[in-house]
Order: sequence, then structure tokens, then C-alpha cells
Amino acid sequence: MKKFVALVLAVLMMASVLVACGGGNNGGNAGNTDTPKGDTPAESLEIENGAKLLVWSADKAVDLTKKLCEDFKAANADKNIEIEVQVQGEDAAATQLLKDPDAAADVFSFASDQLSRLLKADSLAPVFSAKDVIARNSEDSVTVATVDGELMAFPETCDNGYCLIYDKSVVSDEQAKTLEGVLEACKAAGVKFVIDAGNGFYSCMFPFTGGLKIDGIKDDVQQFNDYNEDEVVATLKAFSDLFHKYSDIFMSSEDSRINAGFQETPHTVGAGIDGPWNVTADLAALGDNFGAAKLPTINVKGEDKQIISLHGFKYIGVNAVSKYPYAAQALADFLTNKQSQVERAKAVAWAPSNTEALSDPAVTENAALSAIFEQKQYSVLQSGIAETFWTPMGALGNYLWQESANDEASIKAQLEKAIMLIKDE
Amino acid sequence: MIKSYKLRRIISNALIYILLGGLGLIWISPLVYMIIHSFRADGGAFYSHILPWPNADGVRFTLQNYVDLFTKADNTANFPQWFLNTFIIAIFSCIISTLAVMMVSYAFSRLRFPARKPLINVGMILGMFPGFMTMIAIYYLLKALGILQLPHLALIICYSAGAGLGYQISKGFFDTIPRALDEAATIDGATKNQIFWKIILPMSKPIIVYTILTSFIGPWTDFVLAKIIVGAQGQQYYTVAIGLQIFIDKEHKSAYFKQFLAGSVVVAVPITALFLFLQRYYVEGVTAGGVKG
Repeated sequence: MKKFVALVLAVLMMASVLVACGGGNNGGNAGNTDTPKGDTPAESLEIENGAKLLVWSADKAVDLTKKLCEDFKAANADKNIEIEVQVQGEDAAATQLLKDPDAAADVFSFASDQLSRLLKADSLAPVFSAKDVIARNSEDSVTVATVDGELMAFPETCDNGYCLIYDKSVVSDEQAKTLEGVLEACKAAGVKFVIDAGNGFYSCMFPFTGGLKIDGIKDDVQQFNDYNEDEVVATLKAFSDLFHKYSDIFMSSEDSRINAGFQETPHTVGAGIDGPWNVTADLAALGDNFGAAKLPTINVKGEDKQIISLHGFKYIGVNAVSKYPYAAQALADFLTNKQSQVERAKAVAWAPSNTEALSDPAVTENAALSAIFEQKQYSVLQSGIAETFWTPMGALGNYLWQESANDEASIKAQLEKAIMLIKDE
Repeated sequence: MIKSYKLRRIISNALIYILLGGLGLIWISPLVYMIIHSFRADGGAFYSHILPWPNADGVRFTLQNYVDLFTKADNTANFPQWFLNTFIIAIFSCIISTLAVMMVSYAFSRLRFPARKPLINVGMILGMFPGFMTMIAIYYLLKALGILQLPHLALIICYSAGAGLGYQISKGFFDTIPRALDEAATIDGATKNQIFWKIILPMSKPIIVYTILTSFIGPWTDFVLAKIIVGAQGQQYYTVAIGLQIFIDKEHKSAYFKQFLAGSVVVAVPITALFLFLQRYYVEGVTAGGVKG
């Protein structure tokens, strides 16, 4: 028995020693308090010698990211930097990072919807070279990532929105200008029109079109502008009426349903509201019949109203607990400079946030990107959105096409409920 | 009231067959759907036809999905690599777990040592805790030990380290083998170790097969623990379960859905092959030996 107790004690001791070792490695960054205050040019960052960086990139862009990282290493050949690039979807970057920041990437790309989560967990390091970055990127992409006057991430792309994608053999360019026209054309051809009405990212277009706007977060509570509730309700009712009138044509399903419908023989989908991440596949499925345009208008009480969308950006962030903060900052700066953004536009058709790179032919000649840019002027920027925004907004969108959504009073009740749930935290 | 016994039997049998047939149909239809659609040429995710439809070129069935699965290794999907990873993990876990289970069962069944009963009980109780409880703790322990960077080793350790706790069924089986055999072997000069390898194991083929199958299928199909440990690593370390989920996530569904169907069929192949190979030992074994006179 004594032997047994001794053995147990020995094992416990071993374990505690090992755990202590593990903890020690991670504490390396704690003493680093004199971080630069945003006006250090990227070139004068003192990159740590022998830095080892882990980079997360979306699967479509990973080859390019690897190449750009090689360029970065070559440009800093004297520093012996090691970079590993791993595939990590931009939609899941925040989830993976927050799971275990120590084991996560030093430099990672993410979409703006995750910004608030990352900021809440203090997982982003402020940009050291903010002055340069602000100067070269479009104003709105910078504004979205600025918190209390500090830029928290490097703008990477400015195309995280959506537009109308349609099959030209079903919907004519003229019909694509109004939602009524699109639905009528789809009805004539007996195919579906798809919006992901249960997804807050898409469904917020319904109230936005009626004049609702986001006005930042104050004390953890989502703020809205002084919207005219009657107008919002009237617009929601107009959407709801159309969805009911064309109940066999309108389909609420996730955005990849659009592409699936284009792939089927015969096509089961005529048009849909889709994002740039599906556009390459849509183009491949439709070929010459591929059409892209800004969102259509909707007739509300005799007046054609432009549908307002949500527009976001993609960013490259630096992990706040990176062991090599200077090298990570320099790399993130390099990955988002003009040259890198142009190459990204050429390789994967992601639109740059860099103002000069925007005029590159790879961007201007892309039909879907042009449509998204045109839509951008009719959009609400995806900035200062609380985590609580998405689910109630999706529920509101889902409600509009239910049978019970047939009078203004019930729609108004649903809108008020959604706003209340979004604010309640 | 139906008088004829024969008629009554026919009617009740018919009803039972209809019920069972219906249940069987419900059970098997997803499998049939998956296999048929894995050969589909048309469409992507969200298919509206129940049976595959000829695509624009008039092709209804194709092997292309399987060809793509194994030849198109890119940054999103690398099924051959995932398959190999899973195979290695499953093989090693299977060998280690099977040995561990057999040895623990033998010790509990045949050897008499202090605290044997309490250990059996502790093993039982520990085995009742759901595995989910400890997963996060396992992650941080592996991280502290520094083997998170070797995710496959980490997975093999996780799958096989606690395997010995699954001793109950094999111990029950060993208990049915007459102790007289052990005694005879001991008289002939065999050690406990020799008895285990030369007497007990050859007589326990059915239970060995059962243990091999379960300890292979576990790692082969595991998703949750694998996702926690390998999920944050690069795509080249994924197992098939994680990889197949990548195929149908929001971003990749439209491009990879048919490959997902093909992959799901392929995943079933090693398990089926292993079972077919081991099946014949199920019936042999225990009836072959025995104590004479």
C-alpha cells in the first residue's frame, strides 16, 4: 500500500512539473508593455530574429498567402523568419482563435462579423503601423475596424456584401431592376427565387430598406438610429406581401441553394441574393447566362425603394498573445499592402480595400464585384454590430414569409420583439 | 372472429411482415440514397429529384465523384491524406486497445491479487462517466505535455490509453473458459503469461474479433475528440470524419457535395472489409476446445 501511495505522489509531482513548464512558455509576451502607438511605419518595426509565425488563411487564398509569405521572408532574409501557413476558414477564425489563443495563429484573416467577438475577448493587437494603413485603405474599411481611435486590424478586402445573381435566360436585365420583375420572371419560368431570409446577414436588408440603421454599441447594447417605425413596418409588409403572392416561387434557404439550383438539370433556381464567395461557382454553372446586378428595388405604397444591404470587409488581425508581435505586425502589414491586394484580386478575385488597388482591371472587369460595389452605396456598413444582432434579425426575416405575417400589427409586434431581443443583453 | 387458425396466422404474419418491412425500409433508405447519389452526375447539394436525373450532357451515373475524391487533393480537401491519417490512427489504436483490453480482462478473470474487487468496481464506475466531460481537460493536458503538435500521436494516446476500462465483456467471456485448463497448463509448467497467450487467447477468437472491430470503428468514426485535438491544426492532419464535415460546411457545400457522398461510401469500406475478413472467426473458437473427461 505504501508503495502505491508513493507512486501516486510521484505521478502527481511529474504532472505538476510538466504543467508548470507549459505555462512558462506562454507567459513570454506578458512583460511587453511598451507597444508602439500606431505611428510606426512597417519598415521600421524591429522584427524579432528567428521569429516563428503561424498564419491562418482561407483555403481559396492559401496558395497565394504562402507565396506572399515567401516574399516577406525574402524581403527580411537577415531575420531567419519561419512561417507556417494553415488553412482555416475565415468564417470560423474567431471561434478557433477564442478556443485557445495560445495555440492559434499569430496572423489570421477574418470577416468583419467576427470583429466584435474578437474585440470583446481582447484578442486583437492594435495596428502598430496604423498611420500608413489608414492612409492607403478606403475610409469605410478603416472606420469599421477603429475602436476608441485605435485601428485594431488590417483591412484586406472590401467585398463582403451581396448582390443579385440571376440566370439571364430567365430574368432579363430590365426585370432585374425590380424585385417584382425578378419574381414575375421566375414565376413565368417556373423556377425559384432564393433569399436566406432566416439568416440575419441577409434578412437585415428588410428593415434596413425601411430606414432602420445601426448606430454602434453603447454599454454593450446595440444602438439604432431614430427610425420611423411606420415606414419600417410598411416596407416589411411590402416584402411579406410579395413573398406571399409568389409563395411557390420565393424560397428561403441558405445561399448555397442558389448554386445548387443552377447546377441541376433543368435549373430549379432563376435568381437569388448571393455573396461573392459563391460567385465563382455560379459563373461556372451559368456560363454565358450569368448575370449580376445591384439589389433590385421594391415597391412600397407606390414608391420604388432601393433595397439596402449590409456591407462588410475582411481583415487580417494580429493575435494579441503572439510571441513575436513585431514580426507578426510586419507580416500582416505586408499581406495587406497594395501589391498583395492586387495579387489577391488577380488570383482569387477578392476586391481590395486599398484605394489605389481598386482600379486594377482584375477588379473593374469582374461583373459580380462591380455589382457589389454599386450596391455598396446603398448599404449599411457592418460596423459596431452586437453579437445579439443576428439571431433575432434572422427570426424576423423568417417570420415575414410565414402565413401569419399578413397584417401590419403582427409584423410590427415581430419587429419590436426583434429590436428588444437585440438590445437585451 | 376468424375461426381458421391458418388464416389467423397468415393475417398476423402478414401484418408483422408489413410492419417490419416498413421499419427496414425506413432504416435502409438513407444508405441506399447515399450510395445511389454518390454516382450521380447532375446537380450539387440540395437536390430536388429523389433519383438522379440525367445532367445537361445526358449522363445519369458516373464514377467521377470517386475519381475526384481521390485525385483532386487541394487546399480545401485532401481525402487520400485524411484516409491515410485515419487508417494509421485506427490501426495503432486498435492494436494497443485490443491488447490492453485482453490483458486487463485476463488479469481480472484469472489472477488473484489485493484490491482486485475494488479495482474492478473503480473501472466500472470510471467507464460510466461520459467521455465528453473530460475532453477539454484532455486538450489542456496534451497541450501542457507538448504533444498537441503531434496530433496523431495525441489521438492514438487518447483512444488507447483508457481502453483497458472496457474489460467487462471480455472478462465475462474469459470467466466461462474452465479454470481446469489453466490448472492443467500450470501442471505442465506454463507460466501465467504463457497461459494467456497459448491457452486463453486461441480459445477466445470471437471476443477478440469483437474487441478488434469496436476498437477500430471507434477511432475511425470519432468526430468530437478528433475535432478538438486536430481541428486547430492544419488540414493535412485531419481525419476522415473532420474532413467529410469540411465538405458540407456552408462554404464548400456547393462545390464538394457529391464528393462528400462518395467519401461517405468509401469510409464504410475498411470497416466492412475488416468485418468480412474477421467474420468467420465469430463462429469458430469457443466450441473447438474444451476439457476432456
